[in-house]
Amino acid sequence: MASITPHAGPGTRVEEPDLDVSTEENVDTDKPWIVLVWNDPINLMTYVSFVFRKLFGYSQEKADELMMDVHEKGRAVVSTGPRERAEIDVFRLHEHGLWATMQKDA
Amino acid sequence: MRRRRQPGPVESNGDGTYSINLVDGDRDSLIGLLDQLGTVVQGGDDDSRTTRLFPVAYHDDPEKESEWRGFMRDELVQSRMAAIEKSVGMLRATGPVTEADLIAFMTSLNSLRLVLGTLLDIGEDHDGEDIPEDDPAHGPGQLYGYLGWLLGWTVDALETGL
Repeated sequence: MASITPHAGPGTRVEEPDLDVSTEENVDTDKPWIVLVWNDPINLMTYVSFVFRKLFGYSQEKADELMMDVHEKGRAVVSTGPRERAEIDVFRLHEHGLWATMQKDA
Repeated sequence: MRRRRQPGPVESNGDGTYSINLVDGDRDSLIGLLDQLGTVVQGGDDDSRTTRLFPVAYHDDPEKESEWRGFMRDELVQSRMAAIEKSVGMLRATGPVTEADLIAFMTSLNSLRLVLGTLLDIGEDHDGEDIPEDDPAHGPGQLYGYLGWLLGWTVDALETGL
């Protein structure tokens, strides 16, 4: 049987949060955040589609459409909203092993 | 005469519960793999095998990414460990399993594939089952295929409950 036994490494360094909110940041606060899911050849297509349905309540058709965008275009926007919502969505997608990122909408 | 359909490894019972039809040897092997996965999940964040288990969240902002990892990595470790624990309990038990347990099993199977797939350098043109028999990676490649087969059945069973 294959082994996936690890080798130890140092823990994550926690940085001090930046409390200096710039003017540009204030101007951009109204812009929504988008959550992107990126293509990964390891994830099964049916699995990705199922996760989209389960986490976001999408119909089978919508979930399949997003999954195909991820597969063929390399990424898809799966949710939009305030930053706090985006962070929750990204965390839940990471829990399910999907490569999700978030950024302010352009 | 109609031939009776062979049951799949994971099936919906139609009442919100599911059946796991795996022989003891397969259950023991999966428990062993999940135990190893737990060790990997709790390891350091410089382990390249865990890249896909703890992906980047802020790909265009290193400062926010660092902050995110500081807060969220431990949460993700705890979530993965809880899923592994549920999965092992489910495999050790007999009888029907709940949707929550099967979803934990599904995500843990996917985590195993993410680690093995990373080790095997799986890509669009390389699916792990095309590794020659005389290659040391042949066994892991077959295992990767088996996990994908089992994950596919698990997703299909859960689809019926949505």
